[in-house]
This record gives sequence, C-alpha cells and structure tokens, in this order.
Amino acid sequence: MTRKQKRLSVIVAGLSFLALAAGLTFYALGQKASYFYMPGDLSAANLAPGQRIRLGGLVEKGTIVRGQGTTVSFAVTDTHNAIKVTYTGILPDLFREEQGVITEGSFGSDGVFVADSVLAKHDERYMPKEVADGLKAKGVWQETQVK
Amino acid sequence: MVEIGHFALVLAFALALIQTIVPLVGARIGSDRMMAVAAPTAITGFALTALSFAALMVAYAGSDFSVVNVWENSHSLQPMIYKLTGTWGNHEGSMLLWVLILAFFGALVAAFGANLPASLKANVLAVQGSIGVAFLLFILTTSNPFTRLIPAPVEGRDLNPILQDLGLAVHPPMLYLGYVGFSICFSFSVAALIDGRIDAAWARWVRPWTLVAWIFLTGGIAMGSYWAYYELGWGGFWFWDPVENASFMPWLAGTALLHSAIVMEKRSALKIWTLLLAILTFSLSLLGTFLVRSGVLTSVHAFATDPSRGVFILCILLFFIGGSLALFALRASSLTAGGLFQPISREGALVLNNLFLTTAAATVLIGTLYPLALEAVTGSKISVGEPFFNLTFGPLMVPLLLLVPFGPLLAWKRGDLFAAAQRLMAAFGAALLAALVTLFLIDGGSALAAFGAGLAVWLILGAATDLAMKSGFGSVAFPIMLRRFIGLPRSVFGTALAHAGLGVTLIGMVGTLNFGEEHILTMKPQQTVEVAGRTVRFDGIQPMKGPNFNEDRANFQLVNAGGQVTGTINSSKRFYPARQMPTTEAGIKTIGFSQLYIALGDESADGSVVARIWWKPLVTLIWLGGLVMMVGGAVSLADRRLRVGAPARRKSKPAAVASAS
Amino acid sequence: MLFWVIAAVLTLGASLAVLLPLAGGARGEHSQNAHDLEVYRDQLGELDRDLERGLIQPAEAEQARAEIGRRIIRLGSNETAAQAAGSGSKAVRLLSVFAVLAVPLLSWGIYARLGSPDLPSQPLAERLAKNPADSSVDELVARAEAHLVKNPTDGRGWDVLAPIYLRIGRFGDAVTAYRNAIRLEGVSAARQTGLGEAIVNGAGGVVSAEAQEAFEAAIKLDPNDPKANFYLALAFSQEGRKPEALATLQKMQATLPADSPWRKAVEQALTSVGGNPAPSASGPSQEEATAASSLSDEQRSAMIETMVASLDEKLKQNPRDTEGWMRLIRSYVVLGKTDEARAALRRGIAVFGADSPEAKQFVAFAGTLGLAATE
Repeated sequence: MTRKQKRLSVIVAGLSFLALAAGLTFYALGQKASYFYMPGDLSAANLAPGQRIRLGGLVEKGTIVRGQGTTVSFAVTDTHNAIKVTYTGILPDLFREEQGVITEGSFGSDGVFVADSVLAKHDERYMPKEVADGLKAKGVWQETQVK
Repeated sequence: MVEIGHFALVLAFALALIQTIVPLVGARIGSDRMMAVAAPTAITGFALTALSFAALMVAYAGSDFSVVNVWENSHSLQPMIYKLTGTWGNHEGSMLLWVLILAFFGALVAAFGANLPASLKANVLAVQGSIGVAFLLFILTTSNPFTRLIPAPVEGRDLNPILQDLGLAVHPPMLYLGYVGFSICFSFSVAALIDGRIDAAWARWVRPWTLVAWIFLTGGIAMGSYWAYYELGWGGFWFWDPVENASFMPWLAGTALLHSAIVMEKRSALKIWTLLLAILTFSLSLLGTFLVRSGVLTSVHAFATDPSRGVFILCILLFFIGGSLALFALRASSLTAGGLFQPISREGALVLNNLFLTTAAATVLIGTLYPLALEAVTGSKISVGEPFFNLTFGPLMVPLLLLVPFGPLLAWKRGDLFAAAQRLMAAFGAALLAALVTLFLIDGGSALAAFGAGLAVWLILGAATDLAMKSGFGSVAFPIMLRRFIGLPRSVFGTALAHAGLGVTLIGMVGTLNFGEEHILTMKPQQTVEVAGRTVRFDGIQPMKGPNFNEDRANFQLVNAGGQVTGTINSSKRFYPARQMPTTEAGIKTIGFSQLYIALGDESADGSVVARIWWKPLVTLIWLGGLVMMVGGAVSLADRRLRVGAPARRKSKPAAVASAS
Repeated sequence: MLFWVIAAVLTLGASLAVLLPLAGGARGEHSQNAHDLEVYRDQLGELDRDLERGLIQPAEAEQARAEIGRRIIRLGSNETAAQAAGSGSKAVRLLSVFAVLAVPLLSWGIYARLGSPDLPSQPLAERLAKNPADSSVDELVARAEAHLVKNPTDGRGWDVLAPIYLRIGRFGDAVTAYRNAIRLEGVSAARQTGLGEAIVNGAGGVVSAEAQEAFEAAIKLDPNDPKANFYLALAFSQEGRKPEALATLQKMQATLPADSPWRKAVEQALTSVGGNPAPSASGPSQEEATAASSLSDEQRSAMIETMVASLDEKLKQNPRDTEGWMRLIRSYVVLGKTDEARAALRRGIAVFGADSPEAKQFVAFAGTLGLAATE
C-alpha cells in the first residue's frame, strides 16, 4: 500500500466507525427515550402495552392511599383527567397533595399506571417543567407576569 | 467593604478589557511595550477579582442582609462554614467564583510564563482576558452579587438546605477549577492560531494545564457523584442527569486532549487535531456552564420569563465557540503538520483512544441536547436516561477499556502488537480467572458482572504489567530491576495509576450494581431485618434540633448473633423552617469498602417508619478509583519534565555556550 | 470617605499596571526561532538521559535524534527577518494613552451607574449593637432575640418582648415569650391576659379552652381587668352561652371607669344583636363580621378598612402567610378597591415566587373573585 492508500483506509475506517456510532445513537434515541404525557394526552397517544413513558401532573387532593407495606397509590391529574398510579418505594421528600410530580413506568393490564420512579424536585418552588408547560397549555395555570 | 468589592469588580472588568486589546494589538504590530502590558494587568486583575470575592465572603460571614444576594441565600443561624460556602452556593456567587478561577489561571501564566515567547504570551493572556471580559460583563449586567437592599431585612432566606453540606461546599470550586482550567488550553490554541504558528514547546506548555484541569475535573465529578449518592437519598451514584452530563462531556474531551497532547509533545504529530480538541474541550465547558447557569434545564418556563441571563451566556458561547472554530478553519491549513507513524504504534493507540473518547463525548452531547432541541422544535417532550446511555455509551467504553493496557506497551512510531499481547498474557489470564470466579463462585454473578470484573482486573494488572516491563521484569536481576523501577519517570507511574484507577472504579460499579441488596419495609421499633448477613435493628425515632433545622432522627443498630450492638446508623428527615423545606439525610455505615445505606420514608402514628435499606458492596471503590486517577494525574504533574514545562533559559544558555566553544 | 480613598488607591494601582510596561524600555527579544532551537536542544538532552536510564532502545534513540535534527534544520531554513517593532510610532503612543486613561474612566463611569457608594456594610452583629434609638423595630426585636438566646432565663427580657411580638403579629412567638415570662417572673394579670390574647389571635380569633383558662387566671388576680373580661365574654358568646356573655359585659359596663377606652367596645358589643360582643384585636373573625353587620354603613366600612389596613401591615411584617394574602385580596375586592387587590395579589406572588404553588393558588383564587392576574 502506498502512503496515500494507507491514509485513505485509516480515514475510511474512522468515518465508518463514526457512522456506526451515529447510527447506534439515533437507534437508541428512537428506542430508549421515554416520552412525556399529561393524563389528558393519553387518549390521543397510541401506547403499546408495557411501553415506558413518563406521566406528569399534579397529585390529586385526597387520593393518596397507603396500601400494604410500602405501596402507595395516588392519582395524577391535569385537573381535567386523572390517572391512577401505584408505586412501591419511598416517595420523595416533596411529594404531597396538589404538587407537581413526574412518574416513570408503564401501564398495567388493569389500566393502572405502575410507576417505578416518582420525581418531585428538591426545590419547594419548583414545578417540573413538563408539568408546568402542560398545565399552561391547558389553561389551568396562567402565567403570572409580576414585575 | 461591600462597595469596595463591587468597585474592585468593575475595575477588574476595565483591566480585562485592556488585557484583551492592548497585547493583541501589540503582538500584531510587534510592539514589545504593548505586549508587556499583558502580564501585569492579568496579575492585577486577579488580585482585584480576589478582593471582590473576599468582600462578598465577608458580607456572607457577617450576615450583611443589605446585600440582596446574602439575604436570599443565607441565614444568621447557619453554621459559619455554610455561611462561607453560601458565597458560591448561588448563581451570582458561583459566577464570581468562575471568573476568579479564570483570572487565577491567567495570573499563573503571567507569573510563571517568563520562558514563553513574548508574542505567544501576549496572545494567550489576551484571549484569557477576553473570556474574562465576557463573563465580568455578564456578572455586572445580569447577575450582580453586590446589588443592595435598603432597608436591610433582619433575617435572610437561608441557603437551600440540600446545599448545606460539606460535599457540596467543595464540589463547585473543584469542578470550576477543572472547567476553567481548560480555558488555558483554549487560550493557547487560539493564540497559536492568531500567531499562525505552533511553538515547539507549545505541547509542553499545554500539557500540565490540561493535567491540572483534568485532575480537578475528575475530583469535582467524583465529589458530585458522591454527594448525590448520600444527599439525595436515592442511593444511586450516577443519574445521567443533564447537569452531570454537563461536567462529564468536558471530562471525556479533556481526557482525549490529555492523550493527544502526549503525542504532540513527544512526536510533534497530531498538532492540528490537538489544537481543535483543546478548543472543543473548553467549548464543552462553556456549554456546561450555559446549561447549568441559564436555567434552560430546570425550567424552560424560568428561561422564558427571564431570558436575559440565558441569552447572554448563549451569546458568549456562540462568540467563543464560533469565533475560535472560524479562526481554526481559516488558519489550520497554514500550520505545519507533524511526524508520521504506523497505525500500530503508541501514537496509533492514542489516536484510537481519542476516537473513542470524542465519539463518547458526542453521544453524551446528543443525549443531553436532543431532548432540548426536540422540545424547542416540535414541542414534544422526551426524557433520555440510563437506557439510552447504556446502549450508546456502554459499547464505546468496552473496546476502549479493553485496549487501554496495550497503549503504554507499544513503542512510538512503530509498535509490535504481538509482543505487547505476549507481555499482557499474565494479566489476561488473571482477568479471565476473575471473570470465571465471578460467574460461577459468587452468588448472583451474571455474565455481565463477570465481564465487568474481568475487565477491571485486566485494567489494573495491565497497568502493573506496564510498570513491570518498563523496569525490566524477567530480563534483569532483581536489584537492578528495583533500581530501574525507582528510577522510572513519574509520568509512567502517573499513567499506570490513572489506568488502574479506572479499573478500581469499575470494580466498585460491578459490585454495587450486581451484588447489592435492597430492602424496602415498614419497621416498628425494635424490629430487626437481615441485610447481607447482618442484622439491623430499628430503635425508634427521636426529634432533635439543629442550628437552623429540626430533625426526626431514626436510630438503627447493627447487632451480632449474640445480640450485642456492633455499630450505629442514624438516618434522619430534616425540616428547614426558613425555606419550609424537608430533606432526607441518609444514614451510611462503611464496612470495609462496602456500605450499608439507610434512607427514611414516611413515619406513621404508631412509631413505625418506612425504611429503605441497601447493602452496597464495594461501592466506595467507585470514588476511590477517582481518587487513584487524581493521584495518577498529580504524580504525572510532578514529573520534572512537565513541571518545567519548557526549557528554562537560565539552564540552557550555558549549555549552548559550552557546545559552541 | 474611606471608601473613596481605597477606591482611588485601587484605581491608581490598576492604572500603574497598564502604564508601567507601556512606559518601560523596549527589551531585546529573542526571535522565535531561537526559542524553538532551545526547546530542541533540551529535547536532545532529555533523549540522552532517557537512553542512559535504559528507558528507550539505542536504535529508537538514534531515530528520534535524527528526527529532532531534521526539525532543527527545517528551523534554520525558514528564518524570517526580525520584526521591526514600530513601538515609537504615533499610533502606538495614542493607543497607549487611550489604554491608560480607559482604566479610571471606565471603572468610575460604570461604578457610578451600578454602585451605591454611600451605603455602608451592615453586618448583622454590628446592626444589633448600635444605638437602640437608631434601630428599626425589627432590629430591636432581633437584638432582643439574640440576647435571649444567650440568656434564656432573663424573665424581664421575655416580659418586654412578648407584647411586641403580639403587636407585630408574631403570635406563636408571643405565646412562647409570655409562657417564659410567666415561668420566670411569676403570674400576673397582664401576662395571663397577653398569653390568652396571643393564643386567640394565633387561632384566628377563636377563644380556645387554653386561652379561656389564661383569661380566667387573670380575672382571679384582677377581677376588673377589662381585656380579660372582654375576651371571656367573647368566649361565652362563641360557645353560644349568650346570657353569660351579656352578664359579663353588663358587669363590665357597670364597673368600668367613665374614661376607659374599653367603654365603647363594650357598648358596641352590647348593642349588637343577641348581645354579640365587638372586635378583638386580630384579623376579621366570624364574630367581628357579624358585629360589623350591625353597624351603620359608614361605621362598617371604616371598621373594615382599619381591619384591612392592619392585616396589610401584618403581612408586611410576616409575608409568608398564604391565608393572610388571600384574605387581604378578598377584602380589597369586597371594598371595591380593585387596584389594591391586584397590587396585593402581585405582592403575594412576589413573596412566594411566580413559579410557586402558592402563587398558583393566589391566581386561581383571584380568578374566582373575578380578578384577572394580568392587566
């Protein structure tokens, strides 16, 4: 091989490696990224059973039920629609009624959302951004311009 | 004092402006005097920024609530240590710290750069100054920590409780030392591009800075990971959170830079690539600063209502990244390319390393930015988390880690892969053994765990093999070998330690992820639970009072078979009244390299409590491995050749005279 | 004054950092090639050392030596003419002058816009130590608190602080302070009444059993204490024991001196339908509202306005009171003061931050009152 050919083959090898990595990345984005929904979006969304999603909204008042052991069930609402969620584990510090939460998991066969993680951010003033935007889009929560 | 700090900050801005313009023009027209302005302004600018930072710290120490920033982030009852760390526990203060570190690095170049060619030094400091101008302007116009509040309230709003922690007191300065340390590499690259030539000692100058930045960034990431582990009460050590990714991307790129700078120093090869990598690394640092500081991550909402900060940093980002890359496109062709090498050689191995690391950095970048971009364009929201990174980042790391031990064993220019493989046979055998033992002899061993364990042993013994071979193991008598071993350059030890540190971290991950136990249960007082062969007894909850919080502290005892207490674990839930905010303080007991980790859930009326108890085998190795990597970096930095950086004139002068006579 | 001196010194220092190198003599500068040559020489030296130590093979060393030699040769071939530094030219001098002047002009100019040079630092300890006459109420309270943290057994301190807490609306603290004063200084009618009043206000106007006990204890010590009697009557009426309430009030009317400020309140309470007594010192409770409804229109609106004003004042002192804000907003809407209502809404939101759930609650609440958040 001449020097030129050698260099060319190195470049081709490098590029094909990059292409492989890029392909993998976009495949992974398609497969592994979980979409975010508010309860009201679910009827429109065509969810395959067992598909992982993130479900966000407010914890509906008076729906928190502590079941056996450490299982908790509650409803996540966008004030129009509500979805029942069960979760086993320790709830975050800031989990409480009428606060924004994001749960991640999938729907069981009985239509109950089984979450394996529940997030409420560690800042009292914080509203998860997806929830805030979603509520705003539904007109539940007006933006308050206070300046 | 407050106003003097404010004035000093303004003065530092004016000086940074001079530091940017005058030397740059001086280097252009060849005026020595104008170039000489760079060093004193850089040093004075640092002194002024330090004075400004000190003034803010004094305001925090004295709870001066006439400063808005202090009022918002401090409380008179806070322990003094958290009053002080509160200085950088907020947006404004942390930006000031960022600029302080930037000025500090600039001053170091100014003070110790006597042996740099004048025009290079002038250009480096000018570029460094221009970054300072941008960020000082950002602070003064959008995030001024010295804004006053009159009349002053008598009590502050308290520092965010989860930041009231020693780990987080140390984490940001370390992380910034890392982030901002790369600014020097960036300045050197841009200076070389402005000059249109790469000085012979350029790589020697850049390498120690890269190393310093890398050491601190490694420490900062490890510290941040450990903090998240114990403070958030989730027991995880890495979440692929955008904020974490923001610090991880520069680390990956910086690691690549560290390696390509070696090639450039030793062989004058990969010059242009190294230059580009230095620019990219600092660009990723800037991007990290943007992601964390603009609020675009925490809430698009906040970003939209108060966009001034975000847009400002975005402009800074575009200016420096765009500007430097444009300069690169214009000038790169005029730089002379370096030496040639065979694909199988030390250089080849380092190129491969660069290829993997930069690709890995790119996947993390895509995983971090894609959700933001998608939301901005289509409005649909996705989250990219662990599954994505396992699928993309993982496959990139495995071949890289497999290849790591080969690199140091290959010769420069033309290497012998077969000979290297032969030398590594022992390490390979041991790794295989470790994998088999993990798979068949340890409960719960899976194929993945076995592979991980084998890989970790491979890395550690591969590093040891390198040391053994370099000191002549097997070919010379033992005393000679020992003498050679001691006489090895420190950078060789540094390499071995850093590579072994990777292996140590990997062992920690394999142990924690595959052999841990998790129990979630409701415990009544005096109830016991078996965790990994140990008995944990819950003794009840007591209310306690801290300086600025109240807590419910749960006592857990480790008891042995005879019922005797062998250890105590306290886990608590705290409530900070000033912020009306609860936090969880996990109880952690370190046993050997492993940890028993207890987080509390809700308490019920009958005194029972939901507890989440983890057994995390070998978990501390994850961070100890980081420490080993840092030590490796430090040892490498102590290498005389790196420390000197470039030949000292004093020393080389007589030598030149002697050779001439 | 000191500030200006220090600022001037700093400016001088910074200007000198620019001026001195510009005024200094031009130094002989090595050409860059000479510098590179030194580097290569050093590399050759290092190569020899490595060879001595046996770090590289002789063949490899020879190769490297040849390569460095080639670099040195390449260096010699492209030696360029030494740059003729035009450091004496007019443009350079102009730029130098401009640079030196820029430091003081820029810094003083920007600082004049951003800074507050007249404001001294106000460390908390210093503020608490200064002459009490210059201090605000808040500072005095903070100072007293700091004192009591150090000397928690100072009964007189608690005695002084307790009524202040009561007046500025920190009822919980007032209860603690009164209890401490009673524990340390002994029982007195004034302390018992104050304790009761603090409990009542803390509970939003409801006279709890605990408060009633405190008033009764006060009456035992001073049967004619008007405040204790008045609250006791309030307690009776809240429990629906109207005859007892009426009896207490009538007894008060009989025994109160003619110039007592309580006389009017008692009369109002008596004249109100069913003998419901009149205002307590706190925010509008159910009783006050009923009392108010029995007054003439002017009287009523005057009373409401005073109540609203005091609530407003209380929220200034203690802004993190969600209920309080909503009460204030509603009050202003009821009074027809839409602008004030909106201002109160804005202030409430500002206290908790625009993103907070409280702010959201305020907006929703204001919406139910027909008050739009944005205008």
